[in-house]
Amino acid sequence: MSELALFIVRAGFLIILWLFVLSIISIIRADLFSERVLSKVVENNLPTSVSSPTTGITSVGNFSAAPGSATIVSAMSETPATLVVIDGPLQGLELVLDRKEIRIGRAPNNEFVIEDDYASSQHARLQRTDDGWLLQDLNSTNGTYVDGARIGAPVPIKQDMQVRIGKTIFELRG
Amino acid sequence: MAKAVGLFRVVPKKRNLELLMLLFGFGLYAFELSQVQLATIQILREDAWFIWSLPVVAASVFHIVLRLRASDADPIILPIGFLLNTLGITMIYRLDLVKSATDADRAVGERQVVWTVIAILLAALVLWLVRSHLTFRKYIYSSMALGVILLVLPLLPVIGNPTSGAYLSVRLGPVSFQPGELAKIAFIIFFAGYLTSRREALAVVGRKVFGIRIPPARELGPIVVIWLASLGVLVLQRDLGTSLLYFGLFLVLLYVATGRTFYVLVGLVMFVAGALIASRLMSYVGNRVSAWLDPLSEANYEAIGGSYQLVQSMFGLAHGGLFGTGLGGGLPSIVPLAESDFIISAIGEELGLVGIFALLSLYMVLVARALRIANAHADDFSKLLAVGLGFVIALQCFIVIGGVLRVVPLTGLTTPLMAAGGSSLVANWIIIALLLRLSDTLPKPGTVGE
Repeated sequence: MSELALFIVRAGFLIILWLFVLSIISIIRADLFSERVLSKVVENNLPTSVSSPTTGITSVGNFSAAPGSATIVSAMSETPATLVVIDGPLQGLELVLDRKEIRIGRAPNNEFVIEDDYASSQHARLQRTDDGWLLQDLNSTNGTYVDGARIGAPVPIKQDMQVRIGKTIFELRG
Repeated sequence: MAKAVGLFRVVPKKRNLELLMLLFGFGLYAFELSQVQLATIQILREDAWFIWSLPVVAASVFHIVLRLRASDADPIILPIGFLLNTLGITMIYRLDLVKSATDADRAVGERQVVWTVIAILLAALVLWLVRSHLTFRKYIYSSMALGVILLVLPLLPVIGNPTSGAYLSVRLGPVSFQPGELAKIAFIIFFAGYLTSRREALAVVGRKVFGIRIPPARELGPIVVIWLASLGVLVLQRDLGTSLLYFGLFLVLLYVATGRTFYVLVGLVMFVAGALIASRLMSYVGNRVSAWLDPLSEANYEAIGGSYQLVQSMFGLAHGGLFGTGLGGGLPSIVPLAESDFIISAIGEELGLVGIFALLSLYMVLVARALRIANAHADDFSKLLAVGLGFVIALQCFIVIGGVLRVVPLTGLTTPLMAAGGSSLVANWIIIALLLRLSDTLPKPGTVGE
């Protein structure tokens, strides 16, 4: 091969190698950028979070504020309609139970996010049935306790029964 | 309905990006192989076809497995792994081509191709079988036991197979394997699981002295145990690199879990003290240190186990300069072990500083992706697992590339994904599969429902 051809091949290989690196980096850039846009959109579309009277915990997403949905809730008389945290870091927090299923855990995709090392990322689930709320533990590491006893099978939750997950204790009220 | 059509169901854009980058990698690999053949033997031989197609088919299978089983996984990890792996194959194959006809072992490149295929297919199998990395949480202590067994295997009399003084590999018939490579993964799982459960105790307790919180003595127990174990590896297996790797990995995870600099300081002091004592007592450690400090002195250069290899590699790197001699244009074969420990010096000679920087940035991006995956996970176990998997690649790169470039004393470790050696390829591809699995199971922002 002539000197010139050799030089072109050598330089060409390095250029293509760097093109590979740069396209990888541009994918990362696009990834970071689109994610920022996405999270902004999500933020804007979220209903304003429940205000917690004690602390400024922001991680409780996907819930509409109490006054806004009170009308829907009062139509269902028998079933408890609010979840009140009575102990733990979120003490005083009230959540309006306006959907069929409330997932509880540490991961941000839960409806009720508990920031607690003793809570699993997908810890438990509250499901609305015709007879009221059913609490199911999702194989959590540290368990879910109802009135002091660890639950295995799904348990119906009546008003004023105390549920403990990690350091958080809450109950359902009418 | 569309979901039932398998391959053609709706997959995220990520998989198509990955395919695009993989095709780029396939093309680059063909370029490398033909350049190497034209430069060394002046013709294109058809064996390049075999060397090109097998890894390409294996990587395509892996890509299809990703589409089917982890369609939301990170798009750039597989192309980076493929590129590093195949550039390694090219270099090893290139070294084979210039070996003289009398050389007993001229099929290192072909063996590397076969191991690459085995490694990628095993990684695809891991990805297929492990639906969630959280499964590993149930096997924390079993994986510690497995790791210890794998480490001890080469010391056993019948199957143990000492090579150049180090007890690293096991020989079963014609196949020799280094179980310590797989032990890395077992130990990462154990460290991540153990630190998840002990995190609070290790992070919170203790009193403050000079602004640094010192934990109570009993909490130092595990760090002492790991320290003794890694010194045990150093003394019994005579392998400095592996010992440094395990201890460094543990320190990194301990720091990530607790956020306390104290552990890192104590750990580093303990390791340096241990290594200093070892360098006094064991000649091979001492040789490495003096070869590192003064490679060009005649005594070190002439000594057996001295700095000859290091100096040859320095000459090679200097010969390569900024842009290198071009693939197939240099003389990397005069560095002993150029296809395994010193592959980075062969690359540096032929691709130059510019080429080495390209490779280092690919490693860096790979590790940065692992840290990003760790950051995006919500639970401690996943975080620590991802950091561990990323850092084991980073530490290996630092220890071996730093050794070749005289940043730290040279210790025998394999350059991840590039150096010749089947067990290292298998272990690193499984690490890649686990990182892909972790990136697929990220909690997605703003999604509701399953």
